[in-house]
Amino acid sequence: MDKTLQVIVMCIVTHLGLMFFLFPSDVMETVDVGHWLPILVGYLLHFAFVALYTKGLAYYDRHDLIDIFLTGGRTIAVLLLLPLAVYFIMVNIITVRAYSEIITIVFLSNTPLWAIMALLLTIPTYIAMTGIESIFRTGMLLAILFLPIVLFVICVSFHNTDWHYLFPLLERDSFNFITERPFLKSLFIFTGSFLFLGFVRPTVTYNRRRILIASWILLPLVLLSVYIPLLTFGQDTASMLQFPFILAVDTIDITWLMFDRITGFFLLGMVTFVMLFVGLVMWATNRLIHRCMPRVRPEWITLMLGMVIFAASLFVRDWGSVHRLFWWNSIFRIYAFSVIPLATYLFGVMKARKLQVSP
Amino acid sequence: MIKVMRRLCRILLLLAAVPLLHGCWDNKDINHRSLPLVMGIAKQQDKYRIYLQIPSSDPQNPQMKVVAESGRTVTEAVDRISMNMESQVDLLHLKVILVEKHFAQEGMADIIEGFIRARDISPKAKLVICNESLERFFENMKTAIAGNQTILCDFFDKNAGWNPSIAQTHIWETFRSIHSYTRDVIAPIIQTGKDTIIENVGSAIIKNGKMVDRINPNETLLYYAFKGASTQGKIEVLDHASVLIVNNTVSHHGKIVNSKPLLRSTIRLKVSVLETRGDPTMASIRQELEEIEAKRFAKLFKKMQLKEADILGVGQYFRTDLSRSELSHWRSVYLPKAELQLTIKAIIQNNGNLKTTGM
Repeated sequence: MDKTLQVIVMCIVTHLGLMFFLFPSDVMETVDVGHWLPILVGYLLHFAFVALYTKGLAYYDRHDLIDIFLTGGRTIAVLLLLPLAVYFIMVNIITVRAYSEIITIVFLSNTPLWAIMALLLTIPTYIAMTGIESIFRTGMLLAILFLPIVLFVICVSFHNTDWHYLFPLLERDSFNFITERPFLKSLFIFTGSFLFLGFVRPTVTYNRRRILIASWILLPLVLLSVYIPLLTFGQDTASMLQFPFILAVDTIDITWLMFDRITGFFLLGMVTFVMLFVGLVMWATNRLIHRCMPRVRPEWITLMLGMVIFAASLFVRDWGSVHRLFWWNSIFRIYAFSVIPLATYLFGVMKARKLQVSP
Repeated sequence: MIKVMRRLCRILLLLAAVPLLHGCWDNKDINHRSLPLVMGIAKQQDKYRIYLQIPSSDPQNPQMKVVAESGRTVTEAVDRISMNMESQVDLLHLKVILVEKHFAQEGMADIIEGFIRARDISPKAKLVICNESLERFFENMKTAIAGNQTILCDFFDKNAGWNPSIAQTHIWETFRSIHSYTRDVIAPIIQTGKDTIIENVGSAIIKNGKMVDRINPNETLLYYAFKGASTQGKIEVLDHASVLIVNNTVSHHGKIVNSKPLLRSTIRLKVSVLETRGDPTMASIRQELEEIEAKRFAKLFKKMQLKEADILGVGQYFRTDLSRSELSHWRSVYLPKAELQLTIKAIIQNNGNLKTTGM
C-alpha cells in the first residue's frame, strides 16, 4: 500500500519534536554571525544522504536494510549494523533523559525525574509494540491534533522580532565551524528520523521523489527554530539561553487570546512528537534485535528494551552528563548519518551491476 | 477460558491507568495558592526586601493584602513569605515588578537574570520603578483603594489605563538590554499621587540593568514615536493650540560617513486640532508642532549620548555597516559621535467641527 503521505508526516513531525530545544543553542554556539550557513550546510548534508539512502533502497524491492546488508554476507551485515543498533539505543536513552530534564527545567520543576521518564517511556514502548502501521496512524493523529497549534505558535512567535538582528549576514572565515564541536552536535536533528525508512519497506511503500520534495518543508522550519529567538533577543542574549526558542515563545503577549502562556500548548505538542520519535526508534531497534533473536517474540524484546533504556536513563546523573553522553554519541551519529546511506547506495549499485551482467 | 482471562487482564490494565490520567503529581489546589500580582523589591544594605501584593479571593472582604519579608536573595524572601502564609505563594501570574529607585540605581542585573533563569516569573511581567520608598507606596495604596485590587496592573495594561507617555518594559526586554550591544530600555517611574492613586513621573533610562538617568513623559512619547509604536490618542499641547495625534509613521536610514554614524529619520505625525488659543493659522500650528517636537528630540538624543545609553536602539540601524566586533563598542565609541538628522513632518488631518482659515 502506498503510504507516502504518512511517511512524510512522520518525518516532519519527528523532526519538529527534536528541533526546537537543543538545536537553536547549538547553532548559536557554532557561529556568532550568519547562522543560516551552518543550518544550510547541515540541511544539505541531510538532503544528500536521504537521497542516497532512498536511492539505494529503491534498488531492492520489499527488502529492509537488514536483508540488503545480508546479501553481502553475515559478517559485513553485523559489522555495518552493530554500530547502528548502538546508536539507536543511545539515541533513545539520551532523548528520554534529555527531554525529561527539559520538562523539569521548563515547566514541571517539582516532579521527580523518574516519574517523567517513566511516562516518557511507557507510551513509546506501547506504540513500538503495536508495530509500524499503528505508529504511522498515531503520527497522523498527532499531526492532526497538534500541528495546527504548533503552526499557530510559530506564526505568532514573530510577535517580538526585530529584523535588524538579521545582520550582519556573513563575516570572513565563517566556514571554520565545520569541524567545531557544537556544529557536529547540532547535526543530531537531521540524523535521527530518516533511517527508519530502511526498515519499513516490507510493509509500507512510498514514493521516493515526493518524500524528497516534501523534505524541503523542513528547511524553513529549521531556520525559524534558530531565527525566531535570534530576531527576538539578538545573538548576545539568545546564546546565553538554554532553550532560546521556548523563551521567545514565552515573550508572546496576545491580548485577545484567553491563555496567558501559550508555551504550554507548544511544549505538550512537542512532547507528544518526541514520544512518537522514541517509539519509532524503539521499533527500528526492535527490528534489528529481533533478527538476531528470531525465537523471542518482538513484544518482549520491545518491553525489555524499554526497561533497559529506563534503567540507563536513571544512571545519567545531571544535565552535564547528558551533554557528555550526547557528545560521545556523535561518532555513532556521524556513522549512522553518512556510512549507512552510503553503504545502502553501494549495495544498490552492486546489485544493479550484477543484474546487468547476469542475463 | 484463556481468552476471557486475557480480556479481563487487559481491562484491568486499562483501569489501572485511570488514576494516572489526571496527570497530577503534587498539585496544590487553587484555593491553597496565593497568586500575587505585584512584587516590590527594595534593597537595604545587602539584603533584599520583598513586598508581595496578593489580591484576596474573598468577595466579602476585598482587602488588598501586602506582605513583606527580607532575605539575602529574592527567592529566600519569597520562600519565607510562603512559609509564613497558610497557602503556597505562586509567582506565575505576577504582572508587575516594582523596584525602588535606589535599588534600580545600584543595578538590578542579578535579579533580572534570576527571573529568567528560574522561570517561575513570567518574562512578560512589567518592570516599574517606584519614586518613593516601597513601604510608603504600599501604605498609601492600601488606604487609597478598597475595591480595585488590580489597579497597578490596569495602570500599565494597553487595554486599560496605559497611555503612550507611560513607558512599558517587560522583564525579557530588560534582560535583552543587559547583554545587547546596541540596545537599552526605559522603565516607567511612578509614585502615589494626591488625587489619582498612581502618578506617572517619567521614565528611567536603564543601561545594563542600571538606572542612569530619567526622562520626562513628553520624551517618553517621543521615544514611542521614534520606535514607530502607536502614539495614537495622545494630546499635545502647544502655545497656541492643543492637537490630538491620530497616527504616526517613521522611517530610518543609517549610514556611516567618515566613520561617524549618521542616522536620517523622518517622523510623520498626523494630528487633528482640538482647541486653539487666540487665532492661529493652521500653518503656524503645524510649524509650532514640528519645532517643539524637534527641540525635545534633540534634547533627548543629547542626554542619551551623554549617558552612552542607546534607548532608541539607534545601533540597530547600523548592523549592516558595522561588524560584530565594532558593534561591541557601539555604546562607548560610536554612539557619542553619532549624528541624527531628524525631520518631523506634521500633517493636520482635520481641524474638527469648525472651519478655520489659513490652511
